[in-house]
Amino acid sequence: MSKWKLASAGLAVVAVVFFATLPFFYDVNRGQFGIFFFNVFVYAIMAQGWNLIGGYTGQISLCQNTFFGVGAYTMALLWYNDVTHTGYFFDPVLMILAGILPAILAVLIGLPLLSRLRGDYFSFGTLGFGIIVTTLFINGGKFTGGAEGRLLVKKMPEGAVFNLRTHYWVSLLVAVLATLVVYFLTSSRVGLALKAIREDEVSAVSHGINVLKYKIIAFAGGAAMAGVAGSIYGYYLMQVTPINVLTFNWLFLPILMTVLGGTGTLLGPWLGAIVIYLISWYGGSYLAGWDAVISGVVIILVMLFIPSGIMGLAQKVPGLGRKGS
Amino acid sequence: MTVLMQVVINGILLGSMYGIAAAGLSLIFGTMRIIFLAQGTMIVFFAFVVYWLFVKLHIDPYLCLLIVVPLAFLVGLGLFYSLFRKAVALEDRNVTLLLAVGLMYLVDNAMLKVWSATPRSVTISYSNAVIVAGGIRVPWLRLALLGLAFASALVVFLFLKRTRIGTAVRAASEDLEATKIQGISAIWVCAISFAVGIGLAGVAGVGLATVFSFDYQFGFVWAIKALVALSLGGIGNVFGALAGGLILGIIENLAAYYWGIAWIDVASYGIFMLVLIFLPQGLFGRRALVKKV
Repeated sequence: MSKWKLASAGLAVVAVVFFATLPFFYDVNRGQFGIFFFNVFVYAIMAQGWNLIGGYTGQISLCQNTFFGVGAYTMALLWYNDVTHTGYFFDPVLMILAGILPAILAVLIGLPLLSRLRGDYFSFGTLGFGIIVTTLFINGGKFTGGAEGRLLVKKMPEGAVFNLRTHYWVSLLVAVLATLVVYFLTSSRVGLALKAIREDEVSAVSHGINVLKYKIIAFAGGAAMAGVAGSIYGYYLMQVTPINVLTFNWLFLPILMTVLGGTGTLLGPWLGAIVIYLISWYGGSYLAGWDAVISGVVIILVMLFIPSGIMGLAQKVPGLGRKGS
Repeated sequence: MTVLMQVVINGILLGSMYGIAAAGLSLIFGTMRIIFLAQGTMIVFFAFVVYWLFVKLHIDPYLCLLIVVPLAFLVGLGLFYSLFRKAVALEDRNVTLLLAVGLMYLVDNAMLKVWSATPRSVTISYSNAVIVAGGIRVPWLRLALLGLAFASALVVFLFLKRTRIGTAVRAASEDLEATKIQGISAIWVCAISFAVGIGLAGVAGVGLATVFSFDYQFGFVWAIKALVALSLGGIGNVFGALAGGLILGIIENLAAYYWGIAWIDVASYGIFMLVLIFLPQGLFGRRALVKKV
């Protein structure tokens, strides 16, 4: 067991070092792998966030796209109106706020939805909440910029250059941090409580676990990750509109990635993000216009043949798999 | 007062459409707990089938019911046996959710390729016929749709109450495990409920084609409205789902009348959330069906 842990930790460090140093010998701004991996990292953050609430805790949240959008809008509106007077490109203050605001929202809607409802109704409620928020942003008038959203290019501070290298590093850093957060959260007592809730909620209650508290921790944690991912993507789009940050792709693709990789596993969201983004990347360029059809077929095939995900497959191979987590 | 009455009646007429969609969803969700987000996509698909039958073969949309509903039933059986049969047995409900989402992506975009993005509608010789009574205008076709909604709810109700397989479906939606113990084939019961649910999507498709204009991406919105209507009415009750649809239609029209079209969604989903939080069994559901967990 400890051998396994050491080996996988070593591999993870090697992978992180490789990706972190990639920009020194590969031009991520011009080459297509830069944009490819930037997207994979953003999706990995989203998938890791959904993994926390949907995978480890078993509560199917259907408003991760809303938290992503709220994060992107928090960054964009604060920057656009120059509220914090910190007009940096990739402002850490704004990015942290973009994580905190969705987490507060998650607590506010999580309290009624998670305490009273059984699982299915949590999904319905989050779906309804997401649509309300989207409508509010579309009808926000002068405050949100309505359907056109906010154009951020003019707000670029003097001397700052739009170089994908920054996006690449920031998204990698946040994705690694998100993975570490999920790792430490799930390998502590909190993780045990979350898994207990997923497996049998009644039994968890009878063992004295404060179910609502732990569900809210997971929900708010996932929301914060989605919000920070949204702010990073906002710096990439440079125009935040309801169509590009609140679309349901930001909900369904991370769920698909997590389930394809393996729900409730640390590595699953990463594997899923890479595989799914690879498929949509090459699917989009070789069969232009058919990528949505391809995503549909991929989702159906994955669910039919490997519903337990790649990590689930790996566990079936003797000697390779390990129990737990 | 007449204006308000007109708004409410328009709401009821619109809501009958949501009611049919919700009744279909209630069968699928009630027995198998599938969050079937592709229900709206299926409705739009059958609306396109009606459109083709009308344009290419000049068949009256209401006669199309005789073709579309059996077709929808068979499509439902096929979908269940090819996609959902194994997944329903799994504990993990992400799988059925994602299967529905995958189906939605696939069929939506296949429809875009076949029928293009132009909105379509079916115009029949009696499309513009209107009944005027006491200053209130009721288009014939919408009234027919309301009748169709009640008729299909009645048929499904009688099917559930009077036939053996219907009784099994009701039993399964109360407790699938206990139903299995009684020696009822769970797969067959699930297949029948799924097929009847998609059959109702066929009925709704006829309604959509005759009364509204539609395009390939309408499905998702319809699916969510059906889900809202279902939660308003209460799960496990066909007339409840229909009533939920009518109420949703009224809410939407009142919101549009008082606050403007842009705020429809805030009003209807706001009430939906309030119902979920304070009345999780729905307005007409039985409390016993809502278990903690």
